[in-house]
Amino acid sequence: MSIRHAILGLISQKPRHGYETRIAFEALVGGGENWEVKPAQIYTTLDRLEEAGLVVRSSDLGEGEEPSRRVYMITLQGEEALREWLASGVVPAHQRDEFFIKLMVGLISGQADPERLIQKQRVLLFQELHAATVQRDSYDPRTEMAQILLLDKAIMHLEADLRWLDMTEMRLETIKGQPLPEPEIRPRGRPRKGDKGSTYPPPKKVVSPL
Amino acid sequence: MSIISTQNLTKIFGSGAATVTALDHVNLSVNTGEFVAIMGPSGCGKSTLLHLIGGLDRPSSGKVIIEGTSIADMDDDRLTELRRRKIGFVFQFFNLIPVLNAVENAALPLTLDGMKPAEAQKKGAEWLARFGLSDRLSSRPDQLSGGQQQRVAVARALAAEPSLILADEPTGNLDTRSGDEIASLLRDVAKKYGRTVVMVTHDPRIAAYADRIVFLKDGKVVDETMLERRNNNRAATVEKKIKDIGD
Repeated sequence: MSIRHAILGLISQKPRHGYETRIAFEALVGGGENWEVKPAQIYTTLDRLEEAGLVVRSSDLGEGEEPSRRVYMITLQGEEALREWLASGVVPAHQRDEFFIKLMVGLISGQADPERLIQKQRVLLFQELHAATVQRDSYDPRTEMAQILLLDKAIMHLEADLRWLDMTEMRLETIKGQPLPEPEIRPRGRPRKGDKGSTYPPPKKVVSPL
Repeated sequence: MSIISTQNLTKIFGSGAATVTALDHVNLSVNTGEFVAIMGPSGCGKSTLLHLIGGLDRPSSGKVIIEGTSIADMDDDRLTELRRRKIGFVFQFFNLIPVLNAVENAALPLTLDGMKPAEAQKKGAEWLARFGLSDRLSSRPDQLSGGQQQRVAVARALAAEPSLILADEPTGNLDTRSGDEIASLLRDVAKKYGRTVVMVTHDPRIAAYADRIVFLKDGKVVDETMLERRNNNRAATVEKKIKDIGD
C-alpha cells in the first residue's frame, strides 16, 4: 500500500505539519525501524494530496523560536476519499513471494542446493521472529495494545512462513521429480502464408451464377 | 563457560536388525545462562538428547559432561543426586501430584532430599511468588489452569536452586497465550535468574524466545543459529544511514 491514506487519516484526526505527520505514522507502526518513511516521501505525498484537493495548506506563524511551518487540513473531499478507502477490503499479496521464486529458480538453474536455501531462509525467519517476540514483550498491554497487535500480526505471519518451509522441505523430492510450470509456446504474430488461419492467398471470390 | 557439553553422543535403541539410531555423534555445548531451543521433526531425537543430558537415560556411546564432570562415570546414586540438585525438569503434562497443593508440589524436590517441610515450603513459596502465584499456594492442581499448573512445575524445577533447567515440550499442552507466558517465564529463568535453560519444542513461536536454536534431523545436528542479530542490525543501520545521506 502507499502511505497516502494513512497520511490522510492522520490529518483528519487533527491538522498537522509534515514532520509531525511523519512521526505520527512511525509511532502508529511501532517505530521507524518497523516502517521507515523518508521526509521526501511525506512531502511528495502531501503535495499530491493538496493537488487532488484532499487537503489544504495553511501557514502556522510559529511561536517564540519556532519557525513558521505549513500545516495541512483535510477537506470535505478528503474526508470522502478517506471513507471510501476505509470501506474497501484489503487483498493480501500472497502470490508475490520472493522466496518461492528464489527456490524455483534455484531448482531450474541448478545453481543452489534447495535444502540449503530452505535452511538459510528458516534461520532468517527465526531471527525475525525472535526480534518481533522480544519487541512485543517490551510493550505494556495496558497502554500499548496497538503496537502489540501489529507485532502479533507479524509473528503469526512468520509462524505461517516457517510452517510452509517445513512443508516445502518434506515435499522437495516430489517437486524435484516433476516438470516445473512452463508456458505453452504459441506462435506469435500473423500466421505464415498458407498456414491454417492465414488469409493468403485471399479466397477466390465466389462469382454469383446470375 | 559451557555448563553442558556432549561428545559424539550416540543412542541406539533395539538390537539386531531392528536397531534405530536416535542420536548419531552429537557434539553440543551450552553456555552458562544461555537459553537454547532444540527443534526438529518428530522422531529426530530431540527428546532423547534431553533425556541423556538430564541423566534420565544412558548413552550407547559418547559422553555427557555437566559442569566438567562426565555423567557416564557416575553410579545410580550419584546420578540421582545430580538430577535432584543440579537439574530441574519441566514436562509437557506438568506431572504435578494431584493430592498435593501448589506449594507442596513446588517444595517436593527439597522434601525428597530430606529438608524439613516448613523450610522446603518456604523455598517453594518464594518461587511461586516470583511467578505470580502467591495467592494460589494452597490450590490443588485441578483447581489451577494449565498455564498456572505449568508455572507451579517451573517453580518446582527451581526449588532446589539447580543451575540447569531441562524442559521437554513445556508448552505442548497449553493454548497459545499460556504457551507464550511459559516461554517468556523460561526466558526470565535464564536472563533474570541466571539459570541455563535447554528446551525441546516443535513450535517455532516458542523457540523464538530462545537465544539459540539447535536443529536436529535424523539424530544429527544439521544447523545451529543465534537468534539475536544485534551486530548485524547495527551494521545494516549504519549502511542505511550512509545510503540515506546520498538521497
